[in-house]
Parts: sequence; structure tokens; C-alpha cells
Amino acid sequence: MTSNKKPVCVVPLGDVSEIVLKVIAGHITSCFKLTTQILLPLEQPEYALDERRLQYNAATIIETFESMHFSDHDKVIAVLNQDLFIPIFTHVFGEARQGGKCGLVSLFRLAKNPDGSTPPKSIIHERAVKVALHELGHLLDLLHCEHKKCLMHFSGGIDEVDEMSLDLCEYCSIYLQDKLR
Amino acid sequence: MDKKMSIMVVDDEEIVRKSLFHWFKKYGHVVETASSGFEALEKLEKYPYQLLFVDIKMPGMDGIELLGKVKAEYPDTLVIIITAYGSIESAVKAMRIGAADYLLKPFKPEQLSLVMERISVQKKLVSQYNYLKGRLEKITRFDNIIGHSSEMEKVFSLIPEVAQSDSSILLVGETGTGKELVAKAIHAESRRSHLPFIAINCGAIPESLLESELFGHQKGVFTGATRARKGFLEVVSGGTLFLDEVGEISQKMQVDLLRVLEEKKITSIGSREPVDVDFRLISATRQDLKKAVAEGNFREDFFYRINVIIIEIPPLRKRKEDILLLVEHFLIKYSQETNKKVDHVTSDAMGLLKQYDWPGNVRELENAIERAVVLSKSRTLRTEDFSFIQPSGIQFSESLSLREMEKAYILKILEENTWNVTQSAKILGINRVTLHKMIKRFDLKRKP
Repeated sequence: MTSNKKPVCVVPLGDVSEIVLKVIAGHITSCFKLTTQILLPLEQPEYALDERRLQYNAATIIETFESMHFSDHDKVIAVLNQDLFIPIFTHVFGEARQGGKCGLVSLFRLAKNPDGSTPPKSIIHERAVKVALHELGHLLDLLHCEHKKCLMHFSGGIDEVDEMSLDLCEYCSIYLQDKLR
Repeated sequence: MDKKMSIMVVDDEEIVRKSLFHWFKKYGHVVETASSGFEALEKLEKYPYQLLFVDIKMPGMDGIELLGKVKAEYPDTLVIIITAYGSIESAVKAMRIGAADYLLKPFKPEQLSLVMERISVQKKLVSQYNYLKGRLEKITRFDNIIGHSSEMEKVFSLIPEVAQSDSSILLVGETGTGKELVAKAIHAESRRSHLPFIAINCGAIPESLLESELFGHQKGVFTGATRARKGFLEVVSGGTLFLDEVGEISQKMQVDLLRVLEEKKITSIGSREPVDVDFRLISATRQDLKKAVAEGNFREDFFYRINVIIIEIPPLRKRKEDILLLVEHFLIKYSQETNKKVDHVTSDAMGLLKQYDWPGNVRELENAIERAVVLSKSRTLRTEDFSFIQPSGIQFSESLSLREMEKAYILKILEENTWNVTQSAKILGINRVTLHKMIKRFDLKRKP
């Protein structure tokens, strides 16, 4: 059974594989029991490109989205192929602010293994789902969790993303249920 | 252990402040930001942030200068230096001043995560250390007797010396000077330390009850004696008996105690069988017992029996250099007890505390700090937090005439200088002859 809250919107920024969007939307529904809606692609956020770093500033994109009005959606998960950073970090796989409206998922670094090899598509999709659910967790006010397997555990490297499960630990699960009640 | 921390991000770049702010929020930390070193110090004065992330390059006060000030003022606060312009020299300098870590911007997310993990472990160790230190201090001998003045040093040096013998000790000092603490320290240093220490305030117990408390009684000897009870003189068995306010006990009780001290036997009320007792007696008084003896209010034989060794505990006004140490000690104590981080006293407030004469001595000072900590809304105690203290010296009132004020002031200076006319005249800015004339004119007399 899914919640009767406004659906979570999954929106591609630029040219993003439809399958990835569908897998993310499907998992949001199955894991968080929230309805989802995939929107038509928005333009690639060139306004956020840092020409010195050749990366996209996640903070700038989030601030732009936070100022946008989404009448039918409370929470937005935007997916893009570009490499993201926040000013203090070299890179991020995704970004969202605690209790915010918009979370970002970058597929850029998910398509490579730590040893430089290319993983199968299914692994890339699974990584994208984990990052998307993790960021949605922040939008729903979940904090980083100490349990290594928990979806809300912070992952600094791709191997840690792979180690993380698709589930929330017992505590985060209860917290989420309370939040969605 | 709670891993949540209070963190302040100090950087002149808004984008960096925002990034770290939102990042730490995801861990549930309490986060604040400051755009300059000055702002950071202002905020730090109001709230005890545990961890500071400080950028080196900032206008006005750079990160290294801020680090130095923070470590000098708030040594427990951890500081992590972040910079985009790293050099080995600046890193070495920062670590030498006391930075907990040094990060080069931009850093990998996992690097920050590792640093935070390390800080968390460090915090846990510090917390454990403080806990164990507190436990250790509680069982350490000179617990709570604070002071580095020469007067207190004398007391400290006497404690281990007198502890080794079994001679009776008389502690003389005003109320609140810590006589019981000294008695406990002597007991702790003595061979009886593993046996009981029993303290009785003779002034607080009516005479009839005191006799029963000390000697014990048999069942049914008086109304309410529903069962036999051992007295403290027997219960103390081998330990130390501390009789506070010994000057308050009646002459009859003095005779009874004198006999006990001489015969080392007691007979409880209603019994005919004497019982052997063994204890070391430490008495304390705030009275002038010699005078009481001379006036016939205290038995001379008992006075000399309890006064084999005399230790005078100086009043706080005669060891004002100890006030700073005592204030620091009580701040820690009451910050922990009230769970409020109050760890600073402004120099003005400290001046006020040093100026006051503390007639209630250390106990009054302790109460003042406790009250100020409980009511304080910031981590720093200011003069207004001690508004309940009446500064010593002349009390101004509307009815005080200029002549009365002059008289009171001259008397104050004379008292402060133990009636040394030359010294007092020098302070008052007049010559000795004039001061003599004024003493005569105002009919000033030395207090007996």
C-alpha cells in the first residue's frame, strides 16, 4: 500500500536513460511506500558548471530547484549524467539538504568500478537507486546512520555504495514510518 | 556515547560555510557559521562549540590567529584548519598551536568522514579521561582543599605530618573555611584511613541527644529508646571522630569526653559495663577557646587535651590569591552538576570576587558560584551575575554625610593596615601628624 501524500517526482536533467529513471521510481515506491511520477526531461544545468573544475555545482542546482514551484510534488529527485561537487568536496555521488525539497543523483561516477573497470548495467542501476533513496531519506529528514549496511550510512567511495544495502536499519525504518505517518 | 557535536564553521566564503553547514546537519550536529574570526570569538563566548572548522585565509583575523586565541581561551575546543592554499609550514604551525587536524580544500567526502570519526573517538577518550580523573580526585587525599597561598601551603605541609600520630588535633578557623575537609584529609593520610570517619556537629545537636549520640544507650533507658543503640564513640571503632563546633559542648559533656580520652573506655547510657574504644579525635572551632577558658566558659583540662596540635585555617580574605583557583574549581564542579557549560568569569567579575571579603569564606564563595552558574544564560559569568554580593568596605547610603564617610574611610584604611599609621597615612595621602589628629578628632579606636 502506498502513501496518499503527493507523489515524489523523478526528473531527468538532460539526456538520462529512461530505464534508470524507472528503476529509481520503482524502488522509491517499493522501499519507501511513496507514489512517484517521472517528469519530462529538463535542460542540463549548464548554469551550475564550474569551468575551473569542469564539474557541476550541486549546491547551485539545489538552490535553483528549491526556488522552483512544484505544485504537484513535495519532493523532487533530479538525475543527471554530469559529475557533481559541492565546494568543499572533490565530488559527490548525490546531494540533498536535510528536510529539503530537491535531491540530486549523479550517474557519472557510478558507471566505474574502483579499479577503473566498467560494471554491468544492473550494478550501475543498483548504485543509482541507493544514491537516490539515500538522498530522498535526507529530504525526509533522515540523518546519516552509523550502521554500515543501512541505506542512510554515508558512503564516501563506490565500494561503500556497493556494500550498503537497499534497506533502512531498524531505527531509520521506524523514524521514516513516523515521518510518513 | 552521543556522537552529536556542536560545530562552528568559520570561513569568509559563504559557499563554503553553507556547504559544511548542510553537510554537518545530515549527521544531526548542532551547526553554526561565522564569516570572520571576530564573529567566531563572539559566538564562542556565548556557546561552547566543541569543534571549529576554520579557514586560514580570512580578512581581519586569519585562521591561525583565531586558532591561537581559541586554544588560549578555550583549550577544550577542537579546531580543524581548512585551507585551499596549503603549505607544509602552515600545517606545521597550525598543528603546533594545537589544531586537531588540517584539511586541504577541496577534500574527498570520505576524508572528512574519517576526520570526524577520529574526533569522535578523541572526544570519547577525553570524556572517559575526565570521568576517571573525577573518580580519582574523589578518592585522592586533598580533595577539594584548594589553594596555593603561603597560608594554605602551611596547612598542606602540616596535614601529612600530623596524620601519622594519634595526638588530638584542634582545627581553628572561621565558619566556611573548610575545617571538615582538612579533618578528612588528615584521616585519609593516617593509618586509620580504611576505618570510619565520623563527623558530628556539636552545635547542631541538643546536649541530651549529643550524649546519647556519642555514648549510645540501652533499651528503655528513656522515652523513645525502644532498642539499644551504639554511640558514635563505639561505632567509630579505630577510625577518626571529628567534633565540629567543639566550643559549643557543655561543661558536663567536656568532663565525660575528657574521661573517655584518658581512659579509652565508654559506658553507654543505662549500662554499667564499660567498653574499650579506640579513635583519633579531631576537633574544630570557630571560637577563641583560650578566651573561653580564661572567661571560665570552657574547661582548661579539656582544652589542653583536645589541643595537642593546633592547625589554623586562614579565612579567605587573608588568602585572596586562592580565589581564582577556587572559582575555577567550583565552575567545573557546578558546570558538571547542572549540566551547563559555564567556564569563564570576566576580569571585572573576578575583580569583584577578589575585592569582596567573604565573611562566609570558601562556603560562601562556593554558594555564590553555584548560584551564578545556575542562573547564568551564557558560558561567561559577568559582574551582574554576582549582583547579590555586597562589595566590602564602606556601604554608601543616602544618610551618610561627608564627615561620616571620611571617618569610615580612614577607619577602613587603618584596619586594612593593622593600624600602621605611617602606612595608612601614605595611602590616604596625608602626613602622619594629620592622621593622628584625625584619629583623635573622629575618636577612632582599634577593634579589640
